Amino acid sequence: MSGALGEVLDALAARGLPVAEVFAKRGRARVVEEGPAGVSVSYLREEGWAARAGDDRRSLFAAGTGPPDPAGPGGSWPEADGEALFLPDREALGIDPDSDPYREPPDLDAPLLGEREALGLVATFGQELRAELPAVRLLGVRLADGASDWELASRPGGIAAAGRSRAAFLRVEAVLAERREAAAVLEIAARSAREFDPRAAARRLADRLAVAARGSSPARDRGELVIAPAAAARLVAGLVPLLVGGRAIELARRLEDRHGRFAAAAVTLIDDGRLPGGVLAAAADGEGLPTAAVVLVEAGAYRRPLVSWREAAEVNPGRGRGRGRTVVRATGCARRPGWRDLPRPGPSHLYLAPDPEISPADLLSGVARGYYLLDADGPVTVDLAEDRLSLPVVGFAIERGQATAPLAGAVLEGGIGSFLRGIDAVARDLGYLPVAGAMVGAPTLRLTGMELRRRERDRGSGR
Amino acid sequence: MVPAVSTLDSLDTAAAARALSQLTDGDHDLVDAYFERIEEVELPAEGEAPGFRLRREEGLAVRLVRDGRSWLSARDELSPEAFADALRQVARALPSAFYPEPRLDPGPWPEAPSAEELAELPLEVARAIRAHHVAFPLRLTARRHRREIQVVGPRLVPDPEVEVFYSLEAELPWGRWGALLPGLAGAGEAAAEPLVERFRCRNASPPEARADAVVVLSAGAAAVLLHEAVGHALEADTLALTGRPEAAVGFAMGPEWLSVLDDPGSAPEPVRRRTDDEGAAVSRRWLLRSGVVEQPLADRVWSRGSEVLAPGAARRASRHEPPGPRSTHLELLPGEAAADDLAAGADGGFLVSQVSRGALDPATGRFVLEVPCARRIRRGTPADPVGRFRIEGTVAGLTSRVAAVGREARPGGAGWCAKGGRKLPVWATAPALRLEGVEVVG
Repeated sequence: MSGALGEVLDALAARGLPVAEVFAKRGRARVVEEGPAGVSVSYLREEGWAARAGDDRRSLFAAGTGPPDPAGPGGSWPEADGEALFLPDREALGIDPDSDPYREPPDLDAPLLGEREALGLVATFGQELRAELPAVRLLGVRLADGASDWELASRPGGIAAAGRSRAAFLRVEAVLAERREAAAVLEIAARSAREFDPRAAARRLADRLAVAARGSSPARDRGELVIAPAAAARLVAGLVPLLVGGRAIELARRLEDRHGRFAAAAVTLIDDGRLPGGVLAAAADGEGLPTAAVVLVEAGAYRRPLVSWREAAEVNPGRGRGRGRTVVRATGCARRPGWRDLPRPGPSHLYLAPDPEISPADLLSGVARGYYLLDADGPVTVDLAEDRLSLPVVGFAIERGQATAPLAGAVLEGGIGSFLRGIDAVARDLGYLPVAGAMVGAPTLRLTGMELRRRERDRGSGR
Repeated sequence: MVPAVSTLDSLDTAAAARALSQLTDGDHDLVDAYFERIEEVELPAEGEAPGFRLRREEGLAVRLVRDGRSWLSARDELSPEAFADALRQVARALPSAFYPEPRLDPGPWPEAPSAEELAELPLEVARAIRAHHVAFPLRLTARRHRREIQVVGPRLVPDPEVEVFYSLEAELPWGRWGALLPGLAGAGEAAAEPLVERFRCRNASPPEARADAVVVLSAGAAAVLLHEAVGHALEADTLALTGRPEAAVGFAMGPEWLSVLDDPGSAPEPVRRRTDDEGAAVSRRWLLRSGVVEQPLADRVWSRGSEVLAPGAARRASRHEPPGPRSTHLELLPGEAAADDLAAGADGGFLVSQVSRGALDPATGRFVLEVPCARRIRRGTPADPVGRFRIEGTVAGLTSRVAAVGREARPGGAGWCAKGGRKLPVWATAPALRLEGVEVVG
């Protein structure tokens, strides 16, 4: 623990707040944007800290820029008020930081993209896109490449943790010049911007635009659906309320069929805070607890939700072993995007496990009549109360494994349980997307029991 | 009461201006420095720890715009070293000699606020809800926002600006609700009214989809419509997605009784502005005069070299983001219709007093207003509740369907705007209005 963190903890103890945690983070990023106003290059350096402190009656949260300050943010502390504060305790949770050592990935020390390099990457992407689709018009490109390091300490639980990370993000929005309603957005993330492949990204966006421009949708149709990773990952992201938090078990149980099945045997869902090569991989979470791979759903059986250490205590006592579920252990899953934010439980790398024996072509070739859903054309909508899940999609109609016509302006719709139990095979091509602060992954999957219908207003696009 | 005096007025802005002048290479360059302090005080919903929350941040950004390209460097501290560092980072060539680093000692932050001011608010809302003879579960978070900025250019240094406002966020069993408030007077009832309406509509069915609905928008709902359909549509960068922004001038976008302005200088007093986030003087900007586009929203970048576009509408979400043209305080000039007249011509239509979200697709001009609940109008009065629906249309299509404008304009928050992920509070003074022949999707 650095001296500055200790000084803040001492200062809070002196104010009669014995339960306290200090978190400090520094980061730097290079951002290149191209839009209607031209090209902009930003160099950002951020530094901030936050403290949570309290006793058994009251608590406070204070955050500020700069290094941790024992005098409080801006030289003063707010009053503690309201509720008692509870922080994790290393001994009570049985945490041994040495039991499962984490090896930092070697690319953390690689420099950020230089200005020329970043501008070159954006320009190359534009060239590749125009080569694929000459009629394309870029509405905006945003490329960010950043690095950060953080440190955390708390008392009296004796938690101390630190970490470093690298992340890069690319967002591109484009339309077809002759058909403005044919628009598409591409968002990808990697540990470093040097990992982005401009040609592959351009091809993906061009495919989306071409399909959006030429495709149409049946009024309603069923049939076999093969869903590519980009669309499948969005559907997996829609399952987060069933997989995260103290209420997740209750919500998931409502979706089980009369045999107690939550999902098809092909479905195994995992969240892994230490995923090798993962954009958000870290030894510890936003409360300093060790991260790990957690199996949430195993071969269709709901095993456990992702819960904070505090929720784990509420979910468990004496009733955790029913119906094949495991006892919910506290696993580091507190997401803390920045120093201004309070830690909240959430996934880091949530993915539908692939099957190494099956290729996407195997799934496609087996389809007599159906659709290949290439990508999502908007966010997933989940209504747990009504058991409905829907996702705007683009892709192709398929007959005997061959694409016959482009599909656009369609919505994949059905019950959440129908989706989970309708997945009868998954392929090996696992791919990840950045969704709502997490990386969510899925391979190509084959699905039955869901319906495609034309969007209420088919504009051939949508965002 | 929160002091409206800036703690940034002690910055040595003259020295900062001299230092900035080293970056310019002629009149065609645009250079500025942006200093900011932000304070957010939050009282979370009851039962949520930590109990009282304070966030304070300060920092600076230096920007250079040259030949259609811009460079920005931001730091999370207000110090001569950070300023010099940022200056060096955006400089395209090293100057022959550097001016001494300016003294950047902001005044001390005020004493940390107490929870008292905000603590009364949830109680006031609960009391106001009880006065409607209803009760329902509610988790209310209250925040006070304070932002100070100082912009410095190589030649002009405006006075610092201070904005103070409040926001409320409620979690209900049937959805979320939020509001911006320029002050706390009357906040309890202002929050209770829409919350009670949500409660009363909680089990109501959405209306059948139709393309020719009559909708009366209350002042608050009209503010969101204005923001999406006029404000965003007439931002220079939005217009540039489909052509030259100047080409929009003279386009008839609505009926002659539709006049809309953006005037940060007449916003509610605690958020009133004299200059924008680039330090340019704000003006009473006629976006639509008698239904015709007159002056799109522009900043310094878009107005340079243009004989039509004028600066003064730049906003920045934070020092980490470059400025862009956005509205601050939209005004819809009142018409002649009394409230009863608006409803009298809307039999079978909908009275919409809240809009939960609005979105404009700049590429197509289509936009959507999401209505969480409304009332059916029968015999000129609000009757049975109606569940969630959307109002859809194109910008020109919807503004041309404004059939009557109310005569009583009300100021208030139009809500948080998050164009491009850049979150900003937006304000409006608008009367109620009636739309005829609009598309409603249940």
